[in-house]
Amino acid sequence: MALVNVATKTCCNIRILEEKLRTLSLTALTIKREKHLNARPRLRNPTWFTQKTRAPTNEEMTSENQEFLKEIVQDKMTESAAHAKEIVTTSNIPWDPKMQRAGVIARKIGIYPLWLKNGKKVSTTLLQVLDNHVVKYYSPDYEPPKQLRPKVYNRKACLLIGAEVADPSLFTKDYCGIFKNSGVLPTKFLARFFISPDAALPLGTTITAQHFQVGNYVDIRGKTIDRGFQGVMKRHGFKGMPASHGVTKTHRRGGNIGGGGEKGRVWPGTKMPGHMGNRFRIARGLKIWRINTKYNVLWVSGQAIPGETNSLVYVFDSKLPLRKPTSALPFPTYFEGQNEEAPEDIFDEEVHLFSEPTIVFDEKK
Amino acid sequence: MLSLISRSKWLSKSAKCLRTVSAQTALTQNNEKPKDVLRKQVLEYRHVYPEFLPDPNPDFRNSLREKLERNDMVARRTQIDIPEFYVGSILAVTSSDPHSPGKTQRFVGICIKREGCGLRASFILRNVIDHQGVEMMYEMYDPALHKVEVLKLEKRLDDHLLYLRDALPEFSTIDVNMDPEILTEGAPVPINPIKVKLKPRPWLERWERQHLRGVQDLGLAEKFYKRAQELEKPWEKYDLMKEYMKTIPEEQQLEIFGEVQSELHKLELQRRKMKRKRVFVKPSKLA
Repeated sequence: MALVNVATKTCCNIRILEEKLRTLSLTALTIKREKHLNARPRLRNPTWFTQKTRAPTNEEMTSENQEFLKEIVQDKMTESAAHAKEIVTTSNIPWDPKMQRAGVIARKIGIYPLWLKNGKKVSTTLLQVLDNHVVKYYSPDYEPPKQLRPKVYNRKACLLIGAEVADPSLFTKDYCGIFKNSGVLPTKFLARFFISPDAALPLGTTITAQHFQVGNYVDIRGKTIDRGFQGVMKRHGFKGMPASHGVTKTHRRGGNIGGGGEKGRVWPGTKMPGHMGNRFRIARGLKIWRINTKYNVLWVSGQAIPGETNSLVYVFDSKLPLRKPTSALPFPTYFEGQNEEAPEDIFDEEVHLFSEPTIVFDEKK
Repeated sequence: MLSLISRSKWLSKSAKCLRTVSAQTALTQNNEKPKDVLRKQVLEYRHVYPEFLPDPNPDFRNSLREKLERNDMVARRTQIDIPEFYVGSILAVTSSDPHSPGKTQRFVGICIKREGCGLRASFILRNVIDHQGVEMMYEMYDPALHKVEVLKLEKRLDDHLLYLRDALPEFSTIDVNMDPEILTEGAPVPINPIKVKLKPRPWLERWERQHLRGVQDLGLAEKFYKRAQELEKPWEKYDLMKEYMKTIPEEQQLEIFGEVQSELHKLELQRRKMKRKRVFVKPSKLA
């Protein structure tokens, strides 16, 4: 009898212990098993992501009425432009290398070489900074409506920036609502940039090419050229197989895609044919060689900036640790009012101007 | 209708900016209006300054980029005189090189290729020196170029002379100390109808497939010509869309050259003055 008692007692103890442990352990929480090792971030559309354009309808307006509407739009544009000029964007906070400024929306307009004073040729890409306006500011306390992650550390503020002001009647009511309190007319393009809260800009500010400085480095985000469904040779640079010597029907194919035995399956991440391009990619650490202040054009080193000619790109200060600017940047952005008129073309010290005399290489003493 | 109006508008605009020069240059023939003469003159620029026109591939065009590029090209041309030349002309290029500081090099050769538009324009010169074929590729707007002289201005029957690489060396041998041949002003550029003799195969390219006009009989077996005929694309010349994409319409050319014409014309006048001086100096050299 005594033995049985002891046995039941120990059983009870173990059960209690088990229960206690279960409450302590994390497995008690309802955890979904993820398919991937690092779960993919789920797509959450930004709050300003709404239907942009509306289906064009025939309003059957008289030509006078149409002209009247055009006039109104024109008036509003001049009004908002005048408003933008009044905004003072200076701040008392000094610039610090850890601070993150806003970026700009630009258009890639082509490639051409510049020559340096040492005779070297640099191929550069030209980026035309569009008429960028600050549309909205999200402070770091802002919480998006559907929060999936429990906590975000080191929160940043966010600026919504629009480019290319257009006729508001082209857009939907929802889309126009985004611009409601900004004093900016609806723009064709929107982009958001994470910033440190000190770099916040008043709504309606225009950002020009002089936001950046010659000699500094930028990162450029763009959508790569859409190449469609491509084979393994073009997509991953495989070698293919010989054209002759008995090779049949396998000239541009990938060949073997896996082993047998224990590893007898196609491993995740195997390089295979598929869709190529049309993805956002960032070209990092590109130097600014020249700035045209009249047309707002940046000359940036390299000719492999993602996207076709005439496509949109997003330009922001480089995040590479070794390419941080050494001197103070215009913070939070370049303010035209305080400075004298800038020259039309600003060149890096190393660049040879086209109007300068021909290079002669001196003998080194 | 609207487009017609706008077109006539800017035509008149471009004509306005050209008018200033018309007074100096137009050889006013009584039967032709000065405006037409000027137009003809500006349209002639596409042969003299082909790199000022936009890229033949419309995917790479952007009017603002081209404008900035043209301004830079004119700025460089104020420093160096890049004369009119064609594929087949004999040039002498003087350039400096960082590897031989304090010196300049002069290379004489026949232009076998001219390509690229805008600041990327380049040409290839070829010569045979000490029985060794030498080719130099020069970029037209490279600031290390000191001087570009045309020793003999002429055209050939083909758009490129790359086949000189497979030709007998005498066809690309040029005397390094050659004297420049000066054409009379206003004379048309002569076309050299010379037919080049190629070495026997193997070649760098399959020349029989390229419809070359400046080449003697290739002396190939029948099968080569047959294959060439198989691969021909005779329908391409009827491809209107392709032609349209490649070419720059006349109105656009007028607009493009209208922007830079005044500068280019100034440079041209300067060059003519220099030429006259050179012609005057020459007899003293003989004496």
